[in-house]
Amino acid sequence: MESRDVLAYVKASAAVLGLPLDEDRALRVAQHLERTAGLAGLLQAAALTVHDEPAEIYRPAPFDGALSGTPQA
Amino acid sequence: MSNLATLSSQLARRELSARDALALSIARIGATDARVNAFTDCCLDRAMREADAVDAARARGEALGPLAGVPYAVKNLFDIQGVTTRAGSRINRGLPPAGADAVLVQHLRAAGALLVGALNMDEYAYGFTTENSHDGPCHNPHDLTRVAGGSSGGSGAAVAAGQVGLTLGSDTNGSIRVPSSFCGVWGLKPTFGRLSRSGSYPFVHSIDHLGPLADCVEGLAWSYDALQGPDPLDPGCHATAVQPVSGELARGTHGLRIGVLGGYFDEHASAPAREVVAAAAQVLGAAATVEWPDAALGRAAAFIISASEGGQLHLDDLRTRADEFEPLSVDRFIAGALQPAAWYVQAQRFRRLYRDRINALFHHWDILLAPATPVPAPEIGTEWIDINGVRMPCRPSIGLLTQPVSFMGCPVVAAPLWPSGTGGLPIGVQIIAAPWREDLALRAAQVLQDAGVARTRPVEL
Repeated sequence: MESRDVLAYVKASAAVLGLPLDEDRALRVAQHLERTAGLAGLLQAAALTVHDEPAEIYRPAPFDGALSGTPQA
Repeated sequence: MSNLATLSSQLARRELSARDALALSIARIGATDARVNAFTDCCLDRAMREADAVDAARARGEALGPLAGVPYAVKNLFDIQGVTTRAGSRINRGLPPAGADAVLVQHLRAAGALLVGALNMDEYAYGFTTENSHDGPCHNPHDLTRVAGGSSGGSGAAVAAGQVGLTLGSDTNGSIRVPSSFCGVWGLKPTFGRLSRSGSYPFVHSIDHLGPLADCVEGLAWSYDALQGPDPLDPGCHATAVQPVSGELARGTHGLRIGVLGGYFDEHASAPAREVVAAAAQVLGAAATVEWPDAALGRAAAFIISASEGGQLHLDDLRTRADEFEPLSVDRFIAGALQPAAWYVQAQRFRRLYRDRINALFHHWDILLAPATPVPAPEIGTEWIDINGVRMPCRPSIGLLTQPVSFMGCPVVAAPLWPSGTGGLPIGVQIIAAPWREDLALRAAQVLQDAGVARTRPVEL
C-alpha cells in the first residue's frame, strides 16, 4: 500500500466519520496509520481458521477460588 | 527516607501517629514536587480527616491493618469524591466532580490508608512517558531531565521521590510496569479481571487493568490484598473471591519452575535490560530460556485493539474538540478511530488463540522473567531510540516488552533493578505468572528483595 493510498483512505474514512482534518493533520494521521498497517499485516498472516471466534469479555483463564500454594510440576 | 514497611511498623508500635505520617508525606511533597511534577490535585483536608479517624481507632485499641495511617495517592483517572476526574486531559476539566470514590479507593479507605491526592498521567492513558502538555511533564526523580514513564508516570515518580510509599495506577499496555521500570519502584499489574475498575476512567475496555505501585514488596502485597473484592458492576471483574497473598510472601521459590524469556524479549532488550534479567535469574535459579509464543503478534494485536477502542471512545470529542487534545497523542487517537474493522476483528480473534497457547506454556512453567522496558528512561522530548542498532519511534516502542504480556492478561510484578552503564538509572524486570497466580510472582519478588538485588533507592532532590 502506497503512502498516497493511506492518505486517501484517511481523508475518505474521516469524511465518513464526520472527522474534520486539515491537510497537515491528515498527513500526520496517515503516518501513524501506515505504521499500524505494518502491524496489521503481521496479524493478517496469523493462522486462524474460520472457527476461531473473537474473544468474549476477555477472561485469561477460569477463576479458581481454590488456587494456592506451590504448583506441582 | 523510610519505606512503607518501616512506616507501617512505626505506626503499629505508635512511634508515629497517622497525623505524623501524613505530615511527613505532605512536607516531602511540598519540598520536591515543584521539580518532579507528580501531583495534579491534593486533597489534604480529606487526608487529615482520614488520619484522625485512624488515630482515634488506634486509641480505642482497635485492631488495624498494615495500611492504617499510610499516605497514598492515585493516578488522576480514579474517581475521588468531590474532585473532577481529569484522566490527564483538558477536556475532562469541564466535567462535574466525582460523586463517589472509585471502588479501589473505597477499599484503601476501608484499610485505613490516607489519600493525599491525584497524580500526573498521559492524556487518557495513551502514552508511555507522561509528557503531559496540559499539566507539564512528570520528571523522573532519579534524573529530572528524563521521563518518569507512563501512562502512570506520576504514580511511579511519587513513590520514587519518597512523597508517598504507595500509589495506584492503571496498566493497559504497560502503564504500571513502564513507570515502575523507569522510576525504580515496585509495581503489580494483576491478572486481567482481578480488581474492580468501577469508578476509573477507561482507555481500552478489553485490556484495562488497575494495580498498585509501592516502595517495597510488602507494600504491593498489603495493598493488593486490600484492593481485592468481587464487583458485579464491572463486567470485566472476573474474580469472585478474595485470595490474599501477604501470608505467602515468605514461602520462597523452592520448587517453582522459573525460566527466562528469550526470542522476541531478548531481541528487543538493550544490554542493561539483559543485565538486570540475568541478575534476577541468577538469584532465582532460572537457567532455561523459554519462548513466549507469538509475542510480536500479541503486541501487534494489543496495539491495534488499543488504538481502535481508544479512538472510538473519544470519537465525539475528536470530531469537535481535537485541538484541545494532547498534541502528542491526538493524531494516534484519530488514526485509531479510522482503523479498518478487519484489523480489529482479526486482533480479537487472534487473542483467543494466543490465550490458549500461553496458558499451555504455563503448564510447564510457574514464573517467567523478562525486561520491563527495552531501555532505561529516555530524556524528555526524545523522539527516537536505538534498540540494538534498530532506530525505533520512542513513545510507542517503550511498551514493546510489556504489551505482549498484558494482552494475555497474566499477573506481573515489575521489580526495580540497577544495571551498570546507565548512569544510575534503573530498569525493571517483569516477574510473570499464570493467570490468577499473583502469589507466585510476589513470592519471587520477595526473594529478589531479600537478596538485595531488587530494591528502591532513595533520591536527593
